[in-house]
Amino acid sequence: MAAVSAGEVQKLAVLFERHHRGLFRYFVSMNRSREASEDLVQDVFFRMLRYRASYDAKQSFTAWMYQIARNASVDQAQRRRGEVIGIEEFADRRADGAPGPEESAAQTQDLKLLRQALDRLPPDKREILVLSRFEGMKHEELAKVLDCEVGTVKVRVYRAMRALEQAYSALIGEKTA
Amino acid sequence: MNCEEAKLDLPEYLSHSLNEARELEFAAHIAGCDACRSETERLGSLWKGLSLLPGTMPSPGAEVRERFYESLTAYKHGMASAKPTWRERFAAFWPAVAFAGLAMGVGIGYVARPAGVAQNNGSEVAQLRGEVNSMRQMVALSLMQQQSAGERLRGVSWAYRAEPSDTEVLSALLTTVNNDASVNVRMAAVDALHAFGRSPVTRTAIVQSIPKQTSPLVQIALIDLLVDLKVAEAAPDLKKLSADQSIDASVRERANWALGRLLQ
Repeated sequence: MAAVSAGEVQKLAVLFERHHRGLFRYFVSMNRSREASEDLVQDVFFRMLRYRASYDAKQSFTAWMYQIARNASVDQAQRRRGEVIGIEEFADRRADGAPGPEESAAQTQDLKLLRQALDRLPPDKREILVLSRFEGMKHEELAKVLDCEVGTVKVRVYRAMRALEQAYSALIGEKTA
Repeated sequence: MNCEEAKLDLPEYLSHSLNEARELEFAAHIAGCDACRSETERLGSLWKGLSLLPGTMPSPGAEVRERFYESLTAYKHGMASAKPTWRERFAAFWPAVAFAGLAMGVGIGYVARPAGVAQNNGSEVAQLRGEVNSMRQMVALSLMQQQSAGERLRGVSWAYRAEPSDTEVLSALLTTVNNDASVNVRMAAVDALHAFGRSPVTRTAIVQSIPKQTSPLVQIALIDLLVDLKVAEAAPDLKKLSADQSIDASVRERANWALGRLLQ
């Protein structure tokens, strides 16, 4: 990003190839709309170009990118306020399209329930788990993205995990009832 | 380590991101605390499951990549056509400016200063005007190449602020009129061509565009534009149009009407 910031905008392609899937997963986890998420991915890379001068090479690029992603998401939500957004159901599949040998039917079922449990969480809890687990962000980076102290991040991640456990247990209860 | 501290360290313990000393403390705590050990096992299983979820999620469509590279090319094109800003130029020449100012102060004397300032202001205003024009051009060109029809409409509205002699904006407008997927954007671009009506390129392009259009609305807007711009040399083409049975009847009628107006 430092090169992009210095004017070598074509190097944004490298960042796009590296991060667009992760960004897409983040947006889909938050809004459950493929179309809206694809638009947001484009928007994030545009904003990176537009605000490239504000990038500080000493700071985490991932944190900066997700700060932009959050702003883009908020802006889009404001623009779409009042519109009815379809919530899409995505078919279970691996990224490469084929079930892995370790992926038993039971595990697939568990993952489906886990995803439903994640979807049931309030957006702030879902977001912190997605960023920390899907994108592997450290607490320091999360603190930057969420604009809070590292100590607060610790509390929030723990609470989100507990909420996920409760939602997951509730789903298992509903299934067996 | 107490239970409260262990809870807060739990996610980092599961991610193996605690430092060694802290990890040992955590391990020692859960070895002696059933409640915390049980919670670590339960949440650990969910934590592992979360790492597998991305593999079950959809991937972005191929068009996302396509759109990104198209937009990046458009942006680079926009950057290339933009001149350096006033600030960038000033920064580049700052040492020379400073030296010249000092020399003026020492050598020429304070009385000469008002005239010099007035001259500098004049050229600076001209320079700024040029930069504003090139920025408008860049914005118009970049927006007209966006994926969203709304953005392209904004690009067309920026074209109104370009100089009538700006051939790049004219070319982008003509491309939009001929190729844009949205009828609304094409119609808006036809309207924006008014400002470029003096150019023979515009007048010829309007005539050539009419038979290529698939939308009668756009065809009628182009015919009206020919009348507004008094493009009398379009009469033979309009005659052909009014006689062409493959063309929409309302377009033929409008072409006939235009002929009457242009040949008055």
